[in-house]
Amino acid sequence: MRESPREPRPISVAAVDGGDLALGAGLLALVRSTLDVMEPGGVLAVLSSSSTVREDLPSWCRLERHRYVGLERAHDGRDQHLIERGRYSHAAGSNEAGIHLPRKPLPERLRSDAAQERPAERLQVTSADMLASVPMPPRASPYTGFAPRGARVEPGGPEYPFTLLDRESIAPPEVAQIYDQAVVQQWDASRDIAWEKIEPGSPKVEAAIGQIMTFLAENELSALYVPARFLPRIHPAYAEVAMLIAQQLADEARHIDVFMKRARIAGGGAGISTVITSRSLHSLLQPDDFTEATFLLSVLGEGTFLDLLRFIEDNAPDETTANIMRRARNDEARHVRFGLAHVRHALSQDPSLYGRLEAAVHRRAATLGDAKSVPAPVQDALTILAAGGVEPRALAQGHEKFQKLLQDMSVNRVTRLLNAGFTQAQAEVLSGLHTANFM
Amino acid sequence: MSLKTHVIGAVAYDPKVVTIWEGMREHFREQGFPIDFALYSNYERSVEALLEGKVDIAWHTPLAHVRVQRRTDGKSLSLGMRDSDRDFRAKIVVRADAGIRSLQDLHGKMLAVGSRDSTQARILPLYFLRKEGIDLKRVELLPFDTDLGKHGDTGTSELDVLAALKAGRAQAGTVGDLIWANEQAAGRIDANRLQVLWTTPPFDHCSFDALPSLPREAAEGFQRALFAMKWENPRHRPVLEMEGLREWLPARDSGYVTLREALDQEGYW
Repeated sequence: MRESPREPRPISVAAVDGGDLALGAGLLALVRSTLDVMEPGGVLAVLSSSSTVREDLPSWCRLERHRYVGLERAHDGRDQHLIERGRYSHAAGSNEAGIHLPRKPLPERLRSDAAQERPAERLQVTSADMLASVPMPPRASPYTGFAPRGARVEPGGPEYPFTLLDRESIAPPEVAQIYDQAVVQQWDASRDIAWEKIEPGSPKVEAAIGQIMTFLAENELSALYVPARFLPRIHPAYAEVAMLIAQQLADEARHIDVFMKRARIAGGGAGISTVITSRSLHSLLQPDDFTEATFLLSVLGEGTFLDLLRFIEDNAPDETTANIMRRARNDEARHVRFGLAHVRHALSQDPSLYGRLEAAVHRRAATLGDAKSVPAPVQDALTILAAGGVEPRALAQGHEKFQKLLQDMSVNRVTRLLNAGFTQAQAEVLSGLHTANFM
Repeated sequence: MSLKTHVIGAVAYDPKVVTIWEGMREHFREQGFPIDFALYSNYERSVEALLEGKVDIAWHTPLAHVRVQRRTDGKSLSLGMRDSDRDFRAKIVVRADAGIRSLQDLHGKMLAVGSRDSTQARILPLYFLRKEGIDLKRVELLPFDTDLGKHGDTGTSELDVLAALKAGRAQAGTVGDLIWANEQAAGRIDANRLQVLWTTPPFDHCSFDALPSLPREAAEGFQRALFAMKWENPRHRPVLEMEGLREWLPARDSGYVTLREALDQEGYW
């Protein structure tokens, strides 16, 4: 159990003044809440001028298995009932009363218009500061259920089906900071996009955009479903991880929404879903280990997607489409940051993890069959996008840009793997095995 | 060698009794003392089933318990009781507007009482009132003889007593202390309208009974498994909650003296 010096220990002697309250008219709110912070065997004195309490308090003590010690006369002539706290239903741990989270000035960049009216008064309370005040336990018990971290838990509750019970394997230290950032950076795919600025363009380019957006949405759907599988396995003692995943799921939902809106806003429409993509995303559903899945999805998949989104942004036919890609890339970069933090932290705790991750990449590569190239409709659409149309000389340039994209992806993937804590040799092996589907 | 499965008799006073005994059966199986259970609709049948050897052990109300003891000339075995069965009391509850300040003031008033086979809501409170000098012929009784044969297990007649008091159909009433405390704690009693006038001396409640022919190792095996149930254990706790206890305790015989006297006086054996 977590203990820190500023938290009061359960008390062994206490007194409450019940005035003339009857037991069933409010006295219990005083008695019960005081007994709740007392240790078993502690003695509570209840001062009372109500004669009915003499009849009712001993019976209530019998009901709750506290020992009614007896009745004395207080020096002011009133009744003083003595109760010895029983041993049942005693919530473990110590009380958090007196805790004060740090409040800091709200940074200017986070102020809304309304807040700017009285900027000096605006304070923020971050999740990172709360995590620092109430640290995660190294190991969590499935019997504490959905109790928020720090709550005193009455023993005897049911066993919950949480399986991610170790801090070191799921919760990197920076998780709350990333969560704070994710909350600030939420946006609205309907209101915040300048849809009015997209003019109907060349049908070929719009068709290419439709194909690309379909591919992006298909991949983002997998990024919505894969982490969702692990969310209910996370012990609530590590709630920040679950809360961050919730933000990521909201990000993916928004991306799916905004991509398909872009596909259909100017005549392009939905494109083709290929077997290569389908097989690649299907294989993301296979890992049953949170770290393996995070590695495949967030480090390798979403990491590679950063380069793809950048490519589409750079070659977008209009500023609104570029802006959509920028927003999505900003969200995805956060997912990659968490994935990297998670894998880096887990690797630092367990060096044998490298072998497991490599095996997971190999297993996945084996299920992807012989397809070693980007799905053709996607490759062609990216080429047409980069060419700005289907004029042959422009297509040649588009093709070159696409080749350059593949090289950039490979180089950046290796850099990301080095960043996660892999060696150069390990990074090159893992990067080389990555799916041609990007995600 | 497979262990003999002992059959426990109990009374189905509520659908939850099935859940309780399924839970008990599972626990006893884990403890290596296999049991099954037979449910009867009333305690008279359960007493006969135990005496006839149809069940090995029976879970009995105080009334059924003392009857088994009497029918076995005091030789029956008492194997265990709930912590809540010790030092049970009954309450004389009165309406605040009835002008009842002492037990003597009950004379000439309407006293709501529970089922005639309920130890805590009828038999013992009336016995104790007589002992305190109350002439019950001068008190008008409003009886709620609900769930006869269940010996007050359902608590229905006690809730009927409280309802009659709230509605003004009686000026006073008798209920067990746990129902009273529970109703108060749940906020269902208006402290300005209903108050406790008097609390009876303590008496003991339910008990596991067996015939003296139950082998010592069976009695001990049963007790070992019974006492292994723990409130803190998430699998035990729902059963203990439904059965109304925190802890199983050894039986004791000292708490039934007044009940036997009451039955003698009333000829209610």
